Amino acid sequence: MKSGVNKRPELKRGNLMAVKIFIAADRLDSVLEKLATKIDLWIPALLKGDKSGPTGFVPYEVGKAPAFDRQTTLPLKKVLLPQEETLLRFEYKKDPEGAPKTTIALDDHREARPTLVFGARSCDVRALTTLDRVFANGPYVDPYYVERRKNTFFATLVCKENDVKCFCSSVGGGPADMEGSHLKIVQVDDGYVVEALTAEAQSLLDGLGDAPDAARDAKAAEMVKEASGRRVGDVDTQGCAEAFRNRFPQTDYWVQMVSQCLSCGVCTYVCPTCYCFSITDEVENLKGERLRSWDSCMFYHYTLEASGHNPRPTKLERYRNRVGHKFSYIPEKYEGLLGCCGCGRCIRSCPVSIDIRQVVGHLKENTNEQ
Amino acid sequence: MLENDRNQLHKLVEEALPELDMMIGWAESCDPLQTTPVFIRDAKSISKLTLGPFCSQNLAGYLVKPPALDAPPKPDAKPIGICVKGCDSRSLVALIQEKFITRDRVRIFGIPCRGTVDFRKVAQRVPLANVKSATMEGDSLVIDDSGTPLRLDLEEVLARKCLGCRYPNPVIQDVVIGQEAKPRSSSLAATYRDVAAMDAKPLEERLAFWQSELDRCIRCYACRNACPLCVCQDRCIVETREPRWLTQRVGIPEKFLFHFIHAMHLAGRCTGCGECERVCPMDIPVTLIKEKLNKIMEEMLGYSAGLDPEAVPPLLTFNPGETEI
Repeated sequence: MKSGVNKRPELKRGNLMAVKIFIAADRLDSVLEKLATKIDLWIPALLKGDKSGPTGFVPYEVGKAPAFDRQTTLPLKKVLLPQEETLLRFEYKKDPEGAPKTTIALDDHREARPTLVFGARSCDVRALTTLDRVFANGPYVDPYYVERRKNTFFATLVCKENDVKCFCSSVGGGPADMEGSHLKIVQVDDGYVVEALTAEAQSLLDGLGDAPDAARDAKAAEMVKEASGRRVGDVDTQGCAEAFRNRFPQTDYWVQMVSQCLSCGVCTYVCPTCYCFSITDEVENLKGERLRSWDSCMFYHYTLEASGHNPRPTKLERYRNRVGHKFSYIPEKYEGLLGCCGCGRCIRSCPVSIDIRQVVGHLKENTNEQ
Repeated sequence: MLENDRNQLHKLVEEALPELDMMIGWAESCDPLQTTPVFIRDAKSISKLTLGPFCSQNLAGYLVKPPALDAPPKPDAKPIGICVKGCDSRSLVALIQEKFITRDRVRIFGIPCRGTVDFRKVAQRVPLANVKSATMEGDSLVIDDSGTPLRLDLEEVLARKCLGCRYPNPVIQDVVIGQEAKPRSSSLAATYRDVAAMDAKPLEERLAFWQSELDRCIRCYACRNACPLCVCQDRCIVETREPRWLTQRVGIPEKFLFHFIHAMHLAGRCTGCGECERVCPMDIPVTLIKEKLNKIMEEMLGYSAGLDPEAVPPLLTFNPGETEI
């Protein structure tokens, strides 16, 4: 992968025999249970009882059924960038000799445990290339992120559940895109064919099952071939960085595109590539924690300055920034990399059905028509 | 019938548009089960306006948020046209009561409502990813999922708030589109059925329920921002740093506090439009908290929010002779 975060040796095709196993659907539970003894395991799961309810990635517990039947409501970014994270703990200590002098004790102890996300999707994993550029590749390296990143593995489903709101192929990905993944999961009729894509991932599969028989292997290959050929989405992102700059001052365009925005944070919190955070000191008496928590550029306080001035006072400037960040600023800064993985979650969860594809798709047109 | 109503709306808006600053209504979106709010300023866009059970958004809130409305409005500003369902009209009344907007500033296109579709209930019957189109045929919602069209009884997929609806017809309007709708409820008992069911549970169970539900909250504030009466918006105390009332943690206590602050600030003001619940990406029944307060307001003070523009909400006034509390 491009990021340079994962320095693990990649398997060279033809050099080593690809390690593949078959997990029968009714054995999935016991396989996950076994996996969980080797590594911290996260799976996509229902967050609320009923089967159509919201889903997200959660630490595996025995008996917890993975939800592989659709993309999760919440992305997996929280595995690497938790919504709330203690950066350090501090405690002021009064000097018994010379009050009011105080000393301060700092504790930034942290631990990143080897973790496997079993049942990620291509879009979610691709999104990490954006996070890597920001947190891992300098000039500022975030040790909290990097340590977790190095220790996290992804077993990625070849996606067959894309819907009308998905557009991964428009932003460089695809339903069978395995960039950044360590294991490939193909759902066949009666189970899963899981293939190791890196040397390290091979050991995770040890003792979990036998190689698939020829029929299932062929079926899996056929499904991968089909998914690889499937184009999901038709947003034209060519030249969007420059087109955005031209659109930037056209207030009418933004009024037409996003007047319905409520300026809530749903789109940013369900977004796998949105990484903005806030840092606050949460103090009680003499003890406290420095907290990093997700922030959202949709919020007024995001850009509120100490003077009281706010350079993005309304939702128009804020939404414009969201589009600009993903389709102009990031590509200009990082050699064309888009800050969007095409998962469509922002479209799916928007309370007023704003469609970012429409906003981006119209950047280039010289008309103000919606 | 829906087609006729839509045509009638287009015709009326076309006539009115020259006298309006803009027209706020619903348009189709990329999701067949949900519309998107639309702001019409020119005649050729009128055809975008749509009606029907997918018009779930309450548009009243846009009247108090830029850029739909410049605040404060210019003295010669033309009225804003707005489509309102029964529940939305009550939000509008509440905004008029609280002087966020004057009656003459709005031209109200009243839409008698037969209920709005909750896409989550549709999802229980058919994976949303498969829904190609959705249309109304009589009392049925017909879903095309590229197989045999699936017919769902509209009643089965209505939003929870619609099931106890007493005011499907706008309580304030300048023109009405289509036929009067029949209320689904005529009693407090029917309207507050879900509250009563919750109240019947032991306290510990209720606490456990809310802890488990609110645990899913991601503090995205969609519920707050979609609420037409959550008028503090950018000054909301859960976000202000100075003074800082709430930490940025995502533990249950913070979420609990936020949701109950939200509800308390709406006591006697909430009209039960259900937007907070509809927009929640985590499917938390947050309207239920407000319904409980609404029930108390109705039982103790005999007050239902958003019915009479002249009335003063009980918690916005002080009556030394108050006998009910």
